[in-house]
Amino acid sequence: MAHVSDVLTSQDIGKFANLQVLARQIVEGFCNGLHRSPHKGFSVEFKEHRSYVNGDDIRTIDWKLFGKTDRLYIREYEEETNLRCTILLDSSGSMSYTGSRSDGVSKHDYAVRTAAALAYLMLHQQDSVGLVTFNDAVQKYIPPRARPRHLRTIIDELKRQEPERETELGDVFHQMVAKIQRRGLLIIISDLFSDVNQLMKSLAHFRHANHEIIIFQIWDPDELDFPFRQWTQFASLEAAANRHLVDPAQLRRAYLEKLEVFREQLAKGCNRHRISLVPMTTDQPYADALAAYLALRRKST
Amino acid sequence: MTFLNQILAFGAAAFAIPLVIHILNRSRFKQVEWGAMHLLESVIKVNHRRFQIEQLLLLLIRCAIPIMLALCLARPVLTGATALEGDAPVSLVVVLDTSYSMDTIDTSGTRFEHAVEAACDIIESTGRGSEINVIMTGGKPTLLFDQPLFDSAALVRRLRQQQAGLGASDMQGAIDEALATMAGMTQARRELVIISDFQPADWSQIGDESSIRQQLETLSITPVLTLLPVGSPVNENVTVDAINFPQRAIGVGQQVDVRGTVRNHGLAPVEKVRVVMRVDGEEVDVSQITLGANSSTQVLFPCSFETAGSHTIEISASADDPLITDNRMAAAFNIWDTITVLLVDGDPSGQPLKGETDFLSIALTPFTFGRVRLTDLVETQTVNPTEVNEELLQSSRVVVLANVAKLDDKQLTALTAYVEQGGALLVTAGDRLDLNWYRERLFADGAGLLPAPFGAMLGQIDGERATARIVAERFDHPTLEFFNTPANGDLSKAEFRRWMKLEQIEQSATQDDETNSVLARLDTGDPLLLERRVEQGVVIQLATTCDADWNDLPLRPFYVPLMQQLVTTMASGLMPPRNIATGDQAVAILSGTEPGSTLSMLTPDGSRRTLQTVTEGNAELARFDRTQRPGIYAMSLPSTETIHFVAETSRSESDLATLNDTSLKSLSESLGSSMVKSSDEYLRQDQLRRHGQEIWRYVLVGFLSLMVLELVLQQRFSGVRV
Repeated sequence: MAHVSDVLTSQDIGKFANLQVLARQIVEGFCNGLHRSPHKGFSVEFKEHRSYVNGDDIRTIDWKLFGKTDRLYIREYEEETNLRCTILLDSSGSMSYTGSRSDGVSKHDYAVRTAAALAYLMLHQQDSVGLVTFNDAVQKYIPPRARPRHLRTIIDELKRQEPERETELGDVFHQMVAKIQRRGLLIIISDLFSDVNQLMKSLAHFRHANHEIIIFQIWDPDELDFPFRQWTQFASLEAAANRHLVDPAQLRRAYLEKLEVFREQLAKGCNRHRISLVPMTTDQPYADALAAYLALRRKST
Repeated sequence: MTFLNQILAFGAAAFAIPLVIHILNRSRFKQVEWGAMHLLESVIKVNHRRFQIEQLLLLLIRCAIPIMLALCLARPVLTGATALEGDAPVSLVVVLDTSYSMDTIDTSGTRFEHAVEAACDIIESTGRGSEINVIMTGGKPTLLFDQPLFDSAALVRRLRQQQAGLGASDMQGAIDEALATMAGMTQARRELVIISDFQPADWSQIGDESSIRQQLETLSITPVLTLLPVGSPVNENVTVDAINFPQRAIGVGQQVDVRGTVRNHGLAPVEKVRVVMRVDGEEVDVSQITLGANSSTQVLFPCSFETAGSHTIEISASADDPLITDNRMAAAFNIWDTITVLLVDGDPSGQPLKGETDFLSIALTPFTFGRVRLTDLVETQTVNPTEVNEELLQSSRVVVLANVAKLDDKQLTALTAYVEQGGALLVTAGDRLDLNWYRERLFADGAGLLPAPFGAMLGQIDGERATARIVAERFDHPTLEFFNTPANGDLSKAEFRRWMKLEQIEQSATQDDETNSVLARLDTGDPLLLERRVEQGVVIQLATTCDADWNDLPLRPFYVPLMQQLVTTMASGLMPPRNIATGDQAVAILSGTEPGSTLSMLTPDGSRRTLQTVTEGNAELARFDRTQRPGIYAMSLPSTETIHFVAETSRSESDLATLNDTSLKSLSESLGSSMVKSSDEYLRQDQLRRHGQEIWRYVLVGFLSLMVLELVLQQRFSGVRV
């Protein structure tokens, strides 16, 4: 039976524990007044009073208690969420790229771990988490559940994944819109190596269905800075016949420019549809990246 | 093109290195399984063709870089068609102008100093084993060494000791000498360098310069001719252009008017020019003159000489001009003591001017006859033929047999002995001659004293018009040289009504060419004056009378100088000229000197040279060749007597103008030569000719440019193309 430790190291889990605490802090508004629940419309239950400290939002001050005690207290609530999160994990061939600086972790490995971490996090917050794996078609759809044991199901599926075949994000996402009917949070973990216009259309489709979308775009550092020097034959991970023998030094800047255009198109598209696009590189600890995302998420709300 | 470091040129093969790297790169590529292929593919698709061209271009540049570096290190040299080994020995002849104009001073020294410096530079740059000689043009073309020298250092040392200030250049002669020298040289590469101030006067003498070119081309190996002009044109110059003095024989105590011509070549007048007259080195007279712009003035100095023998006069002008060598001029004189002439009158008369020797006597002693308080050079004694005896002969310097019928045997013996011991005899024709005696005894088939026997009388004594005149020609004999100057009289104006045929003259001339010579002829072709040298003496035979019976000679103004010259020349034996042109041989005939005596000659530059006398025929001669320097040469004889010679040169070089650039260029073209401004330029040109031009600097620039280009292109080619 699959266990979370199969995909997450003990350090990762430790980190997640922290993350979980952090997430809880976010939800509970434990840190300071800035931190409010990111999810609107959730039912909130009063938990306790706490002494006011500088920086707390004055709107949270319990004025009645101030009237009684002549001291400033703020009211704290325990959040009760009904978040439905679906993780869409890209298992196409391009995700299997493993760069020299990523410590043997392929993009897919990274994506799987990220997905596992997210699932762990969500389930420990009593949120329901689902998983969709896809390449040029949907491979597996696990609908969202909030039970703790659901994590194992997800992790089993994650472990089974082998990246192969081409990426067809547009078609896959259009298919998924019909399947994921209840609005909720969609976490897409992919390199997004697909036609940008098609992708944006399908994402717009999701948004139309009132889904909140976060995209974790997984990059290998090699793909971002194209560090190759000597003559190299690049073979496509998605179509074996597709090979090119080139002098990378000659190509580098053209490639980087092309990359920049691609990322810009993505960023603009995501921005237009109010989708959070979080680029992550495999050399950076994914847990850190996750934490960075959560912080970003916290600030944006 | 050649290389100085040929081995390094093989380094160009290193061009294969980038090629190999390129091929290896392509064959030993890395394989990468790539995810972001959609990004890469679009880039490759758009730029594929361009990448190929860029790669090819970069590859070519990278291949060219090692080639350029190897070329640069190999020191490539551009040469002409005839590539010669760079430091091969050379046969070099330097024609160095040593004429007096090279003494001209400019701001940085004399022209000659510059010329010597240039010559030394050129000589020192020649390779080991080169044979070199220098020809100095001044006065007479002279070789610095008799044989070409292989030791350039010795040559340079000698060259640095040389001084200019010699006579005017003989460029044609110098070039002839250079070609002759070069013909005897052995190296395959011949170079002829002319270093001069290139004055128009030097080159105008040559006329057609292309003839020199043809001369050069006739050599088996045509030398490379280079002209190296030194000095800049100068206007200012004051010169003593000429000394005019009487050409006649001058005696002790006789007044001589010496005229010096002083010239200012400058464009501005020169004031207070001090003109000094020196006699035998002693200042005797001074005059101060002002010279207008580009004009000349004569200065008159009367003088006389107290002692007989050789004397010199010198006129010098002191002015502040760039060339002082030509500020002086000198002349040598031989001053005669009284010359005793014995006139043997064969047709005496009691009436004035009717005697055979009356006119002659007057002509030889004009002052005595005219009762003028001036000294005559000649003292005459007139005697009848019967009075002639040995004692009388010995006391006379010259004996004249005028229309003497004949002498007796004793008189003839005494006369023969007299002549053979150095006496001078003048025999004139006339109606009294015993032709048989003259033919048989005095001529004696050439064994006697007479140059030719007297023959038939020609011409008409009673004729109204002249039947013969002297052929007007240039006279070579010292007796008649005086009349080469028209101002001294025209001998051809004299009319000859009768004369005697001097028979067998043709035969005599061919038999004994050296002792017999015709001094003057009549226009009928008959000889008028014949000379014969007998032992140490001389006999001159006149085909007509010395009075007015057969001709009008005594009525002509030139009769006096003619007879004076004739007598003084005869009295002095044959005296070679004392005033010579620079480069001419100074010759003295020495009597009473033992064969092979050693004499010394003091030259104008103050050096003393010794010379040996040589015996030629009956005479003892002293010859001195090295008279290239203008000035006074003093020859000391064993008898403590001194003979002076003065060598002077033409003043054609005193105009210190030099050929301008255009003229030099055209001269250079017609000579088929190249022209350089300095020895450095010559050496550069020579380097270019020998080694070609080194172009490693340009190759280095090319190499660095390619390096930079490679960098720039590489940067540029990896630039953005979407």
